[in-house]
Amino acid sequence: MKLRELCRQLSLEVRTAPEKLDMEVTGGYATDLLSHAMAKAQAGNVWITLQGHPNIVAVASLLNLAGVIITEGMAPEPATLEKAKEQGIPILTTPLTTFTVVGKLSALGVRGVDET
Amino acid sequence: MRELSLHILDAAENSLEAEATLIEVTIEEDLAADRLTITIRDNGRGMSEEQLTRASDPFFTTRSARHVGLGIPLFKAAAERCNGSLTITSQLGKGTTLEATFQHSHIDRAPLGDITGTLLAIILSGSCDVHYIHRVDGREFAFHTGEVRARLGEIPLTHPKVRRWLEEFITAGETELLI
Repeated sequence: MKLRELCRQLSLEVRTAPEKLDMEVTGGYATDLLSHAMAKAQAGNVWITLQGHPNIVAVASLLNLAGVIITEGMAPEPATLEKAKEQGIPILTTPLTTFTVVGKLSALGVRGVDET
Repeated sequence: MRELSLHILDAAENSLEAEATLIEVTIEEDLAADRLTITIRDNGRGMSEEQLTRASDPFFTTRSARHVGLGIPLFKAAAERCNGSLTITSQLGKGTTLEATFQHSHIDRAPLGDITGTLLAIILSGSCDVHYIHRVDGREFAFHTGEVRARLGEIPLTHPKVRRWLEEFITAGETELLI
């Protein structure tokens, strides 16, 4: 599934890099520990977290993630949005909790790194 | 990171890369002030002012293999998340000091974790002395590998028996602090 379709289905707000939404999503990974995201998330995955620190952009860029979904209405820091724009990383926000987002993604057929 | 010791290991790796011959690791737990301070000081080649200002920027790295470096940025974010901060001071040719503080009781503060394993990994890397000090409310466990080396004479720290002794010695020292 393309990231664009996923944003539509979950009513995610696209905060940065709208030009990158045609990327195919290869799976999903959820954690708030950046070191675990670095170790586990795969290229093309969406990463679901409530961290809004600029470091998430560095992790996403390092791993070539499709995008980052920030949950629970957490506002990404201005520096995060700036870096994401610069690096072409889609930052997507939602008021939903991580649990709910993951449930919806799963229903849409997005699989975890241990299922693919 | 799940454990602060992993941040210590990461910072010490930077010191080793900077060709330090001595790394001082100090952990200060001040329960009355609700403060945990971790200091890693080395006598490596140090950083220029420009490198220093960019050390906390994840899109700056000394490595050429990839374009981001997250060691210090993650350590800094962990400290700031727990009402603390991370500061680095450095002088070219003299060395670098990294100090991270945390609110000791903060619910998101990771535990210190496997300090013994971390110190052993640094010590057994072979190229550098380690001075370790862990204080908990005035009580202290400290050692200097230079002293251990002097007593061992020709026997290297990496000798299996020395390694086992070090492991037991550090574990015992750490355990005693926490009783």
